[in-house]
Amino acid sequence: MEQLMAQVPQQIVNGITLGSVYALLALGYSMVYGVLKMLNFAHGNVFMVGAFAGWAVLSLFQRSGLIAVPALALAAMALGAIAATALLGAAIERFAYRPLRGGSRLAPLISALGVSIILENAAMLLTSGRAKTFPTELLIPQDAVVHVAGAAISATRLAMLGTSILAMVILDAIVLKTKFGRAMRATSQDAEAAEYMGIRTSLVISATFMLGSALAGLAGVMIGLYYTQVDFMIGFSAGMKAFTAAVLGGIGSFQGAVVGGLLLGLAESFGVLIAPPVYKDAIVFAVLILTLILRPYGLYGKPQQARA
Amino acid sequence: MIKGPGGKLKIISLALAAVALLLMAATGVVRPAKLPPIKIGAAGPYTGDVSKIGLDGLNAIRMAVDEANAAGGIGGRKIEIVEADDAADPSKAILVAERLAMDRAVIGVVGPMNSATAQAALPTYQRAGLAIISQSATNPDLTEMGYKVMHRICPRDDAQGPASARFIVEALKAKTVYIIDDKTTYGQGLSDQVEPALKAAGVKVLRGQISMEDRDFSPILTRVKSSAPDLVYLGLANPAQAASLIKQAAGLGLKPAYMGGDGLKEKDQLIQGAAGLAEGMFVTSIGRDIREVPEAREFIRKFESKYGAMSVFGGQSYEAANILIDAARRAHADPAKITRANVMTALSKTRGYSGILGFPIGFDSKGDVVGASIFVYQVKGGEFVPVKEYPAVVPAR
Repeated sequence: MEQLMAQVPQQIVNGITLGSVYALLALGYSMVYGVLKMLNFAHGNVFMVGAFAGWAVLSLFQRSGLIAVPALALAAMALGAIAATALLGAAIERFAYRPLRGGSRLAPLISALGVSIILENAAMLLTSGRAKTFPTELLIPQDAVVHVAGAAISATRLAMLGTSILAMVILDAIVLKTKFGRAMRATSQDAEAAEYMGIRTSLVISATFMLGSALAGLAGVMIGLYYTQVDFMIGFSAGMKAFTAAVLGGIGSFQGAVVGGLLLGLAESFGVLIAPPVYKDAIVFAVLILTLILRPYGLYGKPQQARA
Repeated sequence: MIKGPGGKLKIISLALAAVALLLMAATGVVRPAKLPPIKIGAAGPYTGDVSKIGLDGLNAIRMAVDEANAAGGIGGRKIEIVEADDAADPSKAILVAERLAMDRAVIGVVGPMNSATAQAALPTYQRAGLAIISQSATNPDLTEMGYKVMHRICPRDDAQGPASARFIVEALKAKTVYIIDDKTTYGQGLSDQVEPALKAAGVKVLRGQISMEDRDFSPILTRVKSSAPDLVYLGLANPAQAASLIKQAAGLGLKPAYMGGDGLKEKDQLIQGAAGLAEGMFVTSIGRDIREVPEAREFIRKFESKYGAMSVFGGQSYEAANILIDAARRAHADPAKITRANVMTALSKTRGYSGILGFPIGFDSKGDVVGASIFVYQVKGGEFVPVKEYPAVVPAR
C-alpha cells in the first residue's frame, strides 16, 4: 500500500503528459466531427504519418549536422509534420470524403476506414515494416529530470506539455477570434444556414480538416520524441484513444476534447496502479464502454437528435 | 517486309520446322532429365518489429546457399531458397509452414527464428515430415513436445536462465531483482527460467509485464521505481524496445543495473538505440560472439561487405543453413533420391559439425544442440565485452 501511494505523484505526471497528447488528438477528431458530423477513422493514421514526417525531418538534420542546434531541429520537425499532415488532411477530405458528401451517412465512414488501411499499409511498405528510432537524446537530454514531490518530470515531458498548451492556446484564438473560426463554428452549428449566410462551407470544411490533421501531426512528433520509437502500427491505438477521449468529453465539444484527453490519460495511468500495466489499453476501452452506457453524449456534449 | 518464299517452299519449310521441333522434344525425353533444384525453406520475421534480426538471418542463409551452389550444389542439383516471412506472428508462421509443406521440392527448413512461431508451426512441419533447424528459438518446450522434426543449434532458455541467475547472484550480488517480460513465448519463457533460479538463491524477485506493441513504459517503470531493485532483468525479444525502455527509465530518474537475454545482444538497436544509457548493461548470449572465432572471420568479412553490420543471429543462421545443406548431401548417394525423410535422418545424425560458431555441433535425441555454452557480455565503451562463460546445462526435468 505504501508502495502504491508512492507511485501516485509519478502516475499523475505520466497521466497528464499522455493526456495532453490525447487531448490534441481528440481536438482534431472533434473539430472534424463538428463540421462534417462524421467520425474520421483515419485520424490515428494521420497522426502516424505526422510522426514519420517528424522523423524524416530529424534524419535530414542529423545528416546535415544541423542537429547541433536542437531548438531549430525541434521547430523544423514540428513545422514539417504540421505541413505534411495538413496537406494530407486536405487531400483526404478532397478525394475520400467530399465526393461522398450528401450521400448515405455510412459511406464516408467506410471511406475513412479505407483511407486508414491505405495509410497504414503505405507506411508499412515505405518503412519496410521497421520501427524508426528518434534520437531524442540529441535534442533533449534523456536524463535531464526535475523532481517534484516524489515525481520525476523529464525535460521531454515538460516540452510536450508546453507544446500542447501552446497549441491549444493558438487553437482557441483561431476558433474564437478569427473570421475563419467564426465560419467554422457557424458551419458546425448548421452547415446549410451558414451557406445561406455566404459562408463557403466547402472551404471551411477543408480548412478544418487541415487544422485537425495538423494537430494530429504535432501530436505524432511529440509521441515520437517521447517514446523514442515509432512504427506504422501506432496509428490504430492512437485513433482509438482519440476517439475515446472525444466521446468521453462529448464529441464536437472543444473543452470536452481537452478534458476527455486529460481524464483518459489519468485513467490509463491510475488504472495500472491497480491492474497490471499490460492491461492499460483495456482500461481505455473500459472507459469508452462506461461512457457509452452511462453518458452517451459525453461530459460536455448535449443530447442531440440524429440528423438525416 | 521481306517477301516470303513461294507456296510450295513454305509448306516444306514449315514441315521441316515441325519435325525438328518434334525431334527436339523427343530427345529431351530420352536424355536423362536435368534434376530439378532442391529447395530449402527460410522461415523468419522479415517484416515487423524484429525484422532487422530476421533479414540479417535471411541474408546469411542466402550466403550459405550461394556458396554451396558455387561448389556444385547438392550432388549437382542447384539449391533454391523459399522465403517464408512469418513477421514473428504465430498465426502467420502456421500459414507459411503450410505453404512450405505443400511444396514437395522443399526438403528442410532453416528457422523459424522465434520461439512462439516455432511452437505454432511445429505441428504442421511434423505432419509434413519436414525437418526444421532453428538458429535462435530457445524455449525449452520446443524439443520437449516429442516433435521429431525439431532441431536447433542454440542452447535452451532453461540453460540460459539459470546461468543468468547464477551471474546475478555470484558476480553482481543483487538482493532485489525486477523482471519485466513482453508476454512472448521467448521473453516470458526466459523470465520464467530466471525467476525460480534467483528465488532459490534467496533473491527477492518482482515481476511485471509489457506487450510487444507497447511504446509507453512509464506505467511499468513507475512501479519498478517504487520497489527500488538492484537490477532490472529484461525478458524482451525486441532490442529496440529495450533501448526505448532504458531511455524512458532515465527520464523517470531511474538508472538501475540491467540484464537481458540473448535476443537483446544487438549493437545497433540496443547500444546505439539507447544512446549511451545501456552502458554497463549485461546480456547473456547463447553462443560465443563469432567475431572471436577465427573460422568465422571470412564469413563476417563477406557478409558485412555485402549487407552492412551484422546483428546477433547472422552467424547462427549461416551455420544452420550449412548444417542443413550438409545433411542433404549426406542424405542419399543418388541426388535424385533425396527426400524429406532421409534429410531428416541425416540431420538428426549430425555429430561434430565444425563450422563458424566455435564449437563442434551435434544433436541429442531430442534435437537439442550438445556442447554449447552460455556467455555473459557487458556493454563497455559501446561494445559487448565478454565477462563470463558457463557450460549450457539443462537441469533435470
